[in-house]
Amino acid sequence: MSVSIADPKMMASSSSARSLLRHTFVLTRRSVVGRLRQPAVLAPAFIFPLFFAALGSASFNKLASDPYFTANIATSFMNYAVAGAVLQGVLFGSTSAAGDLATDIEQGFFERLLASPISRTAIVLGRLAASMVVAVVQVVIFMAIFVVAGARIESGPIGFIGLIGGGALLALAMSAMMAGLAIKSGSPEVVQGAFPLVFVLMFLSSAFFPRHYMKGWYRTVADWNPLSHIVEGMQGFMNHELSASQFAKSWLIPFVLAVIGIAFALRALNNRLAAS
Amino acid sequence: MQELVEYNLVTQAPIIATGLSRSFGTGDNAIKAVDGVDLEVHQGEIFGFLGPNGAGKSTTVRMLTTLLKPSAGTAFVAGYDVVKDADKVRRSIGVALQDAAIDPLMTGRELLTLQAVLYGLSKVAGKNRGEELLERVGLTAAADRRVGTYSGGMRRRLDLALSLVHEPTVLFLDEPTTGLDPMSRLTLWEEVKRLNAGGTTVLLTTQYLEEADQLADRIAIIDHGHIVRQGAPRELKALVGSPTLSISVASSETDEARSILARFGDLRPTSEGTLGVGLARGAEDVAAVIRALDEAGLKVRHLELDEPSLDDVFAEATGYRLEGADAANKPTESEAAPEEKKSRRGRK
Repeated sequence: MSVSIADPKMMASSSSARSLLRHTFVLTRRSVVGRLRQPAVLAPAFIFPLFFAALGSASFNKLASDPYFTANIATSFMNYAVAGAVLQGVLFGSTSAAGDLATDIEQGFFERLLASPISRTAIVLGRLAASMVVAVVQVVIFMAIFVVAGARIESGPIGFIGLIGGGALLALAMSAMMAGLAIKSGSPEVVQGAFPLVFVLMFLSSAFFPRHYMKGWYRTVADWNPLSHIVEGMQGFMNHELSASQFAKSWLIPFVLAVIGIAFALRALNNRLAAS
Repeated sequence: MQELVEYNLVTQAPIIATGLSRSFGTGDNAIKAVDGVDLEVHQGEIFGFLGPNGAGKSTTVRMLTTLLKPSAGTAFVAGYDVVKDADKVRRSIGVALQDAAIDPLMTGRELLTLQAVLYGLSKVAGKNRGEELLERVGLTAAADRRVGTYSGGMRRRLDLALSLVHEPTVLFLDEPTTGLDPMSRLTLWEEVKRLNAGGTTVLLTTQYLEEADQLADRIAIIDHGHIVRQGAPRELKALVGSPTLSISVASSETDEARSILARFGDLRPTSEGTLGVGLARGAEDVAAVIRALDEAGLKVRHLELDEPSLDDVFAEATGYRLEGADAANKPTESEAAPEEKKSRRGRK
């Protein structure tokens, strides 16, 4: 006598690792499709960075006549603005992704996932992977637009890959931190509420204006702000010959932040599960 | 596995809970949502879990479906411990929760495919199963529409289909028809009956007496976290015994009418504005009651005789009615059944 469960013949035989990959893949696909089906949410991540880049180019174009700027920072303000747009777009996108996760928790889809025999880690990884996919698409689209507008990638095709990788890693880091917040709070409002802080951090970096021209506390904050160094790594790909420091800044720093962020998100998930 | 073998030697019951309890909060602020629930759902039956909002139905289901850890007690579902073997329980059961949303941005077909992958079905098996379920719940035509465009009834049918993807032998339905129109409710009832006829054991929570009466082989009535009655609806109704006579009189005559009614049996809670009595000698007392009221000069505005219903069972067990009950209708301490008074005091 036995209690039967689902027909074993219908079950695909798979190891835990394969299940994790499979679950992560389908949840990534769900997240990406969900983002694509919300154009009103997706649009700001594309429109605002381009708007700020256009605004910056109009306002600060005179910088390009400064010999220090052209010798050490960027070949043109357009070339300078690319990295800031990528950074901004990725941060916008990552916040939206975390907001979607919080919505899942608030509206109950998260609970539906928990009621299934899914790897809990996949719930978080699916969202993070989706953020990376969207970030890659964003960088490619931004680059296409900027190149048409006159920008040039001085470090060549590898620099282009460097920019894409930097964007993807930054998306991973940012969405992991925001996902941790989403899981901890379970509230899309809290996630959206945290975004202005990210925005301030972005303005207190060299995303829109070179550190060289900053003074006083503004300069000090920008010096300590990791976003400054990440964006300068990306600016390096656009404006200088390829170098290891560009990868160290735009890949290594986001990677370290991503490790911290993922640990935070998984801890938040464990705490939420333990509390139930 | 050892536990499963031991369990199967003793019983076939797919759901067993013993002393299941769950508290929220700590110290003086702790609220006991479920308090010592004992439950045994037999193989192949539809078991109704009946109670008002906040009685502890959903909390119990959440513990049985591994979404909530019990504060005390044990529960086995499909032969597995809900705490120690939570993953095995999840693989064995289907769950359609009242508050578990369906992603409105995805289509019905996409959600079924996702669910199939999450339950480990191969791509082909998942696709075939999805098509079969879409047809079964009548959503084939709407399969490629986003769920956000579905009506409430369509969503609940899709929810049911999602819970069946992996052919579970035990199915949990948490208030499956709440908020549905009568037609959608009937459609869902038919589907639940069909599933059960195919051998699936179903535990459904409901606050609708008719739903419990129509669908359930056995029911448990839960109130304030306690199971207060358990058994087949027919048996429970038979235990209440006498029919209920409900009358309405002018509000100035209520007290006198109540004392007259009390001579013919135990007073029972009724809907607002009416008085009820369980006639000790049955329907033959109706004429005598009318005569007594008439002799006292009381004018009866409305009179109704009801055979025992689940609502009577509920009222007898809890001291208030489930249907049409509000705070004003709940019985005073003097009207409540002694068992209820004792139980309420115990909870203070």
